[in-house]
Amino acid sequence: MPNVSRRWFPLGAVAVLAAAILAFPSLAPNPYILSSGVVVLNYAVLATSWNFVGGFTGYISLGHGALAGLGGYATGLLVTKADLPSFVALIVAALLVAVLAVPLGLAALRVRGASFVIVSIALVLILLLVFQSWASLTGGSRGLVVPRPFPGLLRPEHHRVFFYLYAALLAIAVLTWWLLDRSRFGLGLKAIREDEDKAEALGTPTYAYKLIVFVLSAAFTALSGGLYALWFGDLDPVFQFSVLTGSYLVLMALLGGVRTLFGPLVGALIVGTALEYFKTEFGSTPLHLVATGVLLAVVVLVMPDGVLPAIAAGWRRLRPGEQSSIREMTAADLAEQRHRSRQDDRSGPQGDQPAAGETREEVRG
Amino acid sequence: MPSGGLLLQSIILGLLLGGLYALLAAGLTLYFGIMRVVMIAHSAFLILAAYLAWWSNERLGVDPLLSLLVTVPLFFGAGVLLQRMLLSRLRAATLTMMSVLLTFAIALIIEGLLGYAFSGTQRRIQLGYGSASFGLFGARIAVVKLIAFGLAVLALGSLYLLMKRTSFGWALRATIQHQDAARLVGIDTERIAGFGFGLGLATAAVGGTALSLDTTIYPSLHWHWIGPLMAIIVVGGLGSVPGAAAAAMLLGLGQSLLQIPMGTTWAQTVFYVALFATLAFRPQGFFGGRLAQRF
Amino acid sequence: MPSIFRRTHWAPALGVTFLLTLGACSGGGGGGESADDPITVGISLPLTGDFSEPGKGVQQGYEAWAKIVNDRGGLLGRKVELKILDDQSSADRVVADYEQLIGSDQVDLVVGPFSTRLVVPAGRVASEYGMLFVEPAGAANEVFTQGFKNLFYAAPAVAQDHYNHLATYILALPADQRPKTVAYAAMDDPFAQGTAYGLKAKLEAGGIKTVVDEVYPPNTTDFGSIAAKIAASKADMVVGGSQYQDGVNLIVALQQLRYQPKMAAFSTAPTEPEFAKAIGNKTEGILSPTGYSQDAPYPSNKEFVEKYTAQFGKAPEEDQANAYTTGQVVEAAVTAAGCAEQGECQQKLIDWVHANKVETVVGPLTWDATGKPQGAHMIQQWIGGEIKIVLPDATKEAALLYPKPAW
Repeated sequence: MPNVSRRWFPLGAVAVLAAAILAFPSLAPNPYILSSGVVVLNYAVLATSWNFVGGFTGYISLGHGALAGLGGYATGLLVTKADLPSFVALIVAALLVAVLAVPLGLAALRVRGASFVIVSIALVLILLLVFQSWASLTGGSRGLVVPRPFPGLLRPEHHRVFFYLYAALLAIAVLTWWLLDRSRFGLGLKAIREDEDKAEALGTPTYAYKLIVFVLSAAFTALSGGLYALWFGDLDPVFQFSVLTGSYLVLMALLGGVRTLFGPLVGALIVGTALEYFKTEFGSTPLHLVATGVLLAVVVLVMPDGVLPAIAAGWRRLRPGEQSSIREMTAADLAEQRHRSRQDDRSGPQGDQPAAGETREEVRG
Repeated sequence: MPSGGLLLQSIILGLLLGGLYALLAAGLTLYFGIMRVVMIAHSAFLILAAYLAWWSNERLGVDPLLSLLVTVPLFFGAGVLLQRMLLSRLRAATLTMMSVLLTFAIALIIEGLLGYAFSGTQRRIQLGYGSASFGLFGARIAVVKLIAFGLAVLALGSLYLLMKRTSFGWALRATIQHQDAARLVGIDTERIAGFGFGLGLATAAVGGTALSLDTTIYPSLHWHWIGPLMAIIVVGGLGSVPGAAAAAMLLGLGQSLLQIPMGTTWAQTVFYVALFATLAFRPQGFFGGRLAQRF
Repeated sequence: MPSIFRRTHWAPALGVTFLLTLGACSGGGGGGESADDPITVGISLPLTGDFSEPGKGVQQGYEAWAKIVNDRGGLLGRKVELKILDDQSSADRVVADYEQLIGSDQVDLVVGPFSTRLVVPAGRVASEYGMLFVEPAGAANEVFTQGFKNLFYAAPAVAQDHYNHLATYILALPADQRPKTVAYAAMDDPFAQGTAYGLKAKLEAGGIKTVVDEVYPPNTTDFGSIAAKIAASKADMVVGGSQYQDGVNLIVALQQLRYQPKMAAFSTAPTEPEFAKAIGNKTEGILSPTGYSQDAPYPSNKEFVEKYTAQFGKAPEEDQANAYTTGQVVEAAVTAAGCAEQGECQQKLIDWVHANKVETVVGPLTWDATGKPQGAHMIQQWIGGEIKIVLPDATKEAALLYPKPAW
């Protein structure tokens, strides 16, 4: 019995989730709720795209907001300056960002861990500067107005159309993630996440793998950002290139669990809705920043593998007969254990003698 | 073509700015040296200190410099607590990555609370000597900027003496250089690490007060500081205080001089260009910190 | 390989529960109209963020308008109620705010936010819902090139024309007395830059040389190097396209460098009540354009100044007056059309404003097809610690001081 239900229950749940998303526009009581729905779906697509890098390789990027912003501005500029039709511009923009992601990835992925995070933050800040300063092209701080793709449409209809467009994009992103997860390629990526040096020693071309998945992630992020530009219509560098966007994505993914297909999506539904709720209820104060910060700190300190997975694991443990799989323990946990047993209660980092991989990196750098 | 006067003026402004950068980068370097932690919240604490200075001037009517008497010990304590209560709880294997996220979260909390307490309105201390200045070979040096620079130099100097001349400094340097060895010779590295964090945060208190004398502050200002500071510690060779100071002076000067032909905004890109160039060509930094290694 | 599903089967289920709760919670809104219902007016204002200083002024102006109207018995016999949301000076928020006001809160009327940067996105929301949109702050040219048919700027002139009287004055000076070189520094903001560049275009056309032309982003805090450039150019005149704090910072930085121009003009900042204290009272001779004067002889102005002063304990400034003017325009339209609710009524209101002249505290206003007002600004100058109207001659309170005394 468990076998059958295990096979069909999740599929059924996915179907119901899809149905719920598709039915949302008809259930939404007013256009404002519908527009919030579009914002939340945008987050869901972004978080899922983020998870291509974060979930598969374990590299945490705070710079994905910049990629979304690039996608948005590229779309907007292609529509306004190159007179491309809106959705052609969207596709071209995503391709352009994907191409641009190659050198970005080459630079950013050479460094590991915290350096990668710094580089990703620097990416946001530098793009903000460029888009603010290069006013003749981007409109500078005055922003860029992106013409509506469907000019005749009334606003509620406009929201509805974009809600479905986002739902479609989300479906594509989730499907891609799923296919990738089943592939050999996906296996190699997960090897990087668990232990990059070992993966490399075993013959996985880690650098190429990381780069490919980074580019893929950038393309989806740009699509989402571009769609946002077409939907929202007004781009302002301060909001397109905000470190906050990246931190929201990290929070969503960590909350939902980066190792799972639907984790970031569910994280986005929760955090996105919470953000919208916070803004309407406490819009006149910056307390949503505090809430985001506290939530992020709690997740990092208490449940770095995800709050929902932690709850799910706890639930599984409560039900006898359902053993939690050994795979739940990551290489990081194992390393930690080794570490602990080797040298009692050391609280510092791994020490000063660089690991084998680090020296190799150095030489190659 | 920039005139000689403008050039001299820009050099002076650049050096004065570089001093402040150097002080702040010193704090970041300490954190990194002790725990391999990249402290994103450093500049948020900087802005917090600036707000406290502004507040004590605005509400209590005291000179902002006096606020140092409170903020420096306060920040020192906060740094110790931060290290002992939060950062040391992270798992060692994912410490660098998770500490970035954790300090990022702290930065958000500080920004949000500042906004809640003081609103997003830009604030500026109104000092009697705010627009006073004196001449030097045709250039003008604002008194407030000089005080800020003096504070930075004083704080850096004390930090240097503390590191080189006291037994605490010796223990701290030992902890930074080789934690295991330090523990073997009987240093309580846990305690030392906490105090090191306290020292780092104290630099933010001094820096924030210096900053508040001559600029407008607002809660989200810290994002404009964290980028340049990150660039400085990477260029300076992570973990080396003199390296960071040299990089800070150089980049501060570069920024100021580049403003003449490029304008204020483009000139800021000098930090990011330096950051990417360093990572691409010389990841161990240009001023050779001993700890310069990948993190 | 169902493993991925196994590990995550709780996730979709949770997502569904969540969506359904969301849908269920978000009821409300709507409701019928009746003669006893108050007329709700939706506004989004920057109560925090870059523009919170002028934003508060605009809020007070709206509040004064609502009180004065209600004391008079309301609009169409219905009480006026304001619903104000904070947009944190951000374009993302301003759109969401108006979306919420119109779509969810079902307000009867909307009026504009503060700062040109926010007027365009806000105007588009109102336009796509077919609402009349009178606004107190969208002064830059691009507001009127968006093809809005529902938008009206409730002030005498757009940003480019703010310095018109000053330009005329300068160009009328004898050639040997005129300033020969000018330094411009403007915030990269459609309004602030618009004022400075409007003057720049006119002075350059008159043969006066531009020696410095700096544009800085709104979040600039260090003006040392811009000031150094201006001081090094020794320009006869400095023009600042400023909002508030940036203007203060720039002036302080210039004073630190002991730069003494013959003429100094800054937009917005010098007319703010906090200005003199913020720059340590070294205000002598600073010029600024303004669209409003407390002493203006227009009939409704006397009532406004009196009642405003009674309500807030001080006289109104330009921001307050612009908001009040916005209220007056909406009031005139509602009274003439005899209705105030969403739907067809809005088009009636829009048509009425297009076709008529409205008497306001800043004088009679009319608009062209794009909603651009047809008028000019006065020029004020700080003289002996007070700000006085110096141009045009018809309304001046003092003679313009030129060259200006040292600051």
